[in-house]
Amino acid sequence: MEESNEFSYPGLYEVIFMKAEKFINTVLNWGRSNSLWPLTFGTSCCAIEMMTFGATKVDSDRLGVLFAGDSPRQSDLILVSGTITKKMARRLLNVYEQMPDPKYVIAVGACNVSGGLYHDSYNTIEGIDRIMPVDAFIPGCPPRPEEFLDAVRVLQKLIKENRSKAQINGNIR
Amino acid sequence: MATLDKLKNGFKGDLEVMTNEPSFSVISIKNKKLIKKLAWQIKEEFDILYALTVVDYSPNFELNYIFSNYKNADLLILKVNITEKDFAVDSITDIFSSANWEEREAYDLFGIKFNGHPDLRRILLPEDWPGHPLRKDFKVDDEIRNWTGLDLKF
Repeated sequence: MEESNEFSYPGLYEVIFMKAEKFINTVLNWGRSNSLWPLTFGTSCCAIEMMTFGATKVDSDRLGVLFAGDSPRQSDLILVSGTITKKMARRLLNVYEQMPDPKYVIAVGACNVSGGLYHDSYNTIEGIDRIMPVDAFIPGCPPRPEEFLDAVRVLQKLIKENRSKAQINGNIR
Repeated sequence: MATLDKLKNGFKGDLEVMTNEPSFSVISIKNKKLIKKLAWQIKEEFDILYALTVVDYSPNFELNYIFSNYKNADLLILKVNITEKDFAVDSITDIFSSANWEEREAYDLFGIKFNGHPDLRRILLPEDWPGHPLRKDFKVDDEIRNWTGLDLKF
C-alpha cells in the first residue's frame, strides 16, 4: 500500500464508529467485571478460606462474585486455591480449557505464587504462572478471606482498564 | 509366639528370629525366593498386611512387611534384603490382596520390581515422570524442577 504525504481529517463516519466501539467496550467491560462467576478449584487448606469468602461475613455476592454454577462451562473466573502437584497440573489445565472466553485466573496462596512450603520439591508446580496466565496473586498461607475481596477488586480494575491477561492476549469473543 | 516355632522348623537356616515377644516379633529371611512360601505360612495366623515399607541402605534395600491379625492384634515384621544386582522380589498380591497398592507405591518411589504383580504402574506420580524420588541418590535437578508434563505454548 502506498503511503501518501497528504494530510486528511478523519471523516464523520470514522469518528462515530471509533467512539461507538469504545463505548461498547466500556459497557461490556463494566458488565464483565461486575458479574464474575467463579469456578472453585480447591485442593487444600486455601479452599477453606475460599468457603468463608463466599459465606455471609465476607460476602462475595456484593461484588457480583456469585458461587452459582460451579461448572467450568458457566464460569469466567477460576480461583485456584491449594497446592498443584505435577499430576494435578494436567487436570487443572483440562478444566481451564473448558471455560469460555474471556477467562480470568486468580492464584490463591503461597503454593500457587512460588511453591511456598513445597519450594524445591520434586512434585509441586512452583507457581501456576508456569502453566497458565494469571491475573492476580493472593499471598498468604492460607490468606485471609478479606484478601480474596481485595484480589477481586484488583481484577475488576484490570478488566475495566483493558489490562487483564485475556484482554492483552486478545482472547475475547 | 507359637507360630514362630512352626515357621522356624519349616525354614531351618533361612529364617532368622530377631525379636520374639508375646505379641510382637521380627523375623528376617535370607533367601528372598522363599517369600511366597513364607507368606502362605504366615497367612494361617496373620490375616492382614498393614504396611510395606522400604529402607534405603545404599546400595542394598530392605523391605519391611508388617502383618497383623484381627483376633489378638499381634504384630509380625518380616524383613527382606534385596541387592542392587537383582532388584526384584516376588509379589505376594495373590496371597495378601492389600499388597497390590503397597507394592505399586514401593515401585513408584523406590523403583523396586515385583515379579508377578497384576498391575505394576505408578500410583502417586504421573506415569511418564522421570526417576524414583525417595532413593538416597535422587537429586532435584533442573529437569525435575521444570517438568510439568504439558507441552505449553506461551
